[in-house]
Amino acid sequence: MRWCYSCMIPSMLQPVPAQIEEGIIEVLKNVSRRTIEPTLDSDLVVDLGFDSLQVLEVIAELEDRFDISIPLNYVPTTRTVAQVVAQVAALVDGRANAG
Amino acid sequence: MTPLRTLPEALAEAARTEEGYVFVADGIETRRSYADLRLASLGVARALREAGLRPGDLAALAIGDAEQFLTTLFGASMAGIIPASLDPPVAASNPSAYLEATARIIRLAGARAVITTSALRQEFDDMRASCPDIDIVLSRDTLDAPPLGPDHTASLDDIALVQFTSGSTAVPKGVVLTHRILSANIDAINGPAGLGSSTTDSAVSWLPLCHDMGLIGMALGPLYCGRPAVLLAPQAFVKRPAEWLRAISRHRATVSFAPSFAYALCVRRVKDRDLEGLDLSCWRVAGCGAEPIHAPTLAAFAERFAPVGFRVTSFLPSYGLAEHAVAATFAPRGRPPRVEQVSSDDLTERRTAIPKNGTTRSAVTLVSCGRPFPGHRLRIVDEQGRELPERQVGEITLAGPSVMQSYYRQDALTAATLRNGWLYTGDLGYVSGGELFVCGRVKDIIIVNGRKYHPQDLEWGVEDLAGVRRGRIVAFGAPRHGGPDRVIIVAEPSGRVPPDILSDAIRRRIGDLCGLSVDDVVLVRNGTVARTTSGKVQRAAIKARYERGELAGAGVEHAGVRA
Repeated sequence: MRWCYSCMIPSMLQPVPAQIEEGIIEVLKNVSRRTIEPTLDSDLVVDLGFDSLQVLEVIAELEDRFDISIPLNYVPTTRTVAQVVAQVAALVDGRANAG
Repeated sequence: MTPLRTLPEALAEAARTEEGYVFVADGIETRRSYADLRLASLGVARALREAGLRPGDLAALAIGDAEQFLTTLFGASMAGIIPASLDPPVAASNPSAYLEATARIIRLAGARAVITTSALRQEFDDMRASCPDIDIVLSRDTLDAPPLGPDHTASLDDIALVQFTSGSTAVPKGVVLTHRILSANIDAINGPAGLGSSTTDSAVSWLPLCHDMGLIGMALGPLYCGRPAVLLAPQAFVKRPAEWLRAISRHRATVSFAPSFAYALCVRRVKDRDLEGLDLSCWRVAGCGAEPIHAPTLAAFAERFAPVGFRVTSFLPSYGLAEHAVAATFAPRGRPPRVEQVSSDDLTERRTAIPKNGTTRSAVTLVSCGRPFPGHRLRIVDEQGRELPERQVGEITLAGPSVMQSYYRQDALTAATLRNGWLYTGDLGYVSGGELFVCGRVKDIIIVNGRKYHPQDLEWGVEDLAGVRRGRIVAFGAPRHGGPDRVIIVAEPSGRVPPDILSDAIRRRIGDLCGLSVDDVVLVRNGTVARTTSGKVQRAAIKARYERGELAGAGVEHAGVRA
């Protein structure tokens, strides 16, 4: 029942996938030192030119933005923006269910 | 003057103090005294013996966790086994590319054992088919036995450790350091002309322990003088640079070293709210080394963190390399970095450092890395090995008790690097007012974020990709003042794979291999990548043509993303 209450408080509303995607793309643009136009299909290394340092920076920024904790062992399997969106959405979901 | 000690002697001495390491992982701090660590290490020593390792065997360590890594290193050393540190896998790369590169090092080094994490044990076990020297693969978690009794006494001239210089997988260069060399360098660092260490000092470091500055400078350095050190995981720093500064502030640390890029990362990424409660007034030596030092970065850091007590006089620019244990020169303590602005044209064309004046077209700002330690010597030499006067640019050569013994099992390479008692560093510099200014490199090395990458590794890494002509690949770094080198790959396509797909595949493979981002992929016409009569690619020639813009302008397919 608890989640029903939290849904009634606007500030506790969970972001819907579209907002997550938007937020992630904004983070990617901020972290990149080049002008990039990420889409869901973009590959972080190949298309967006992120190196291993910047990938960790992206993680920190996503954690702050979505109030989640991203385990580092997620990282090696993540290649595209779509995968990042899916993982963040799952973590946000998990947080909502746990909270 | 402290007498020279072996690593086990230094550990035994430190174990008589109350001090130790604090390991920070996932925000949790675990304190371990040197006495506890010594005991744990003696357990590892016995377990290694029981597993069949004998004194003089080489054991490769691929362990990311700091406490596990250090107790394994100490344990091997106490059992007379030679520890060799390998890079643990990088977070953003895929394990198979990492294992392939690591297998190459292990194969050429002839390691008899690999000690790794339980997660990677199976992978290393499978590697035995291609690495016949590997007898034993052990998971660090299983190395638990009662302490080994005193059955082996290392002498100062035994090998203390073999450091594989980062990135070198094509021709792995394992730097051999004896206990005598290790102790000499650490004592020089801690001594009055170095840090001037005292009983009030403590260190904080996030540097990887497979790197000389992380292991020798920041972990063994404090241990050899019985002082505490707080060790953070490298990823924790890169993820949140403020964690480094917070640890310094919280532990009232006095000494911390990092490459130039780390100071830049703090300026760029530490947020205003992170400054709350931060007090950096305790930080008396903010060492900077391992890559070219960017003067504006240090100035920006000092300005940003002055309000929380950071002093610009804490900066201690330094120069060093694994072949010289770790440190070669230190700037004097307690003064702001000394910088010189010199004409870039004179520097590259006439190899002379002329101070900037009214007619200078473009100038470059260089930071003094100070002087060699007492008992050590530095000379700048020309191609014939003749010593050059002040302000003449030449190769930096070093002599003295900190110079490595050899490259492990690489006689030809050793002979080319150690000549007549001098270590040829491959770095270019000049001396002004008795102090060293580093301004370039003789060797083709790519430096990104304090790590050295060998072009050959990148070339070998992509040569089996479908669509490239085998052996017709050149990798090089284009230095960019004040930033990481640009990574350039030039390749001849075989024509079977569309250019854009091939470029993507190359970028992806390099990313997997070492976490590097390629700045430019240039696909060139067949026959462009020239080779010498001995079959080596002419990297310098291709690089020069690239820099003159000739490659992109030759009517070839160009699929680069310009940085």
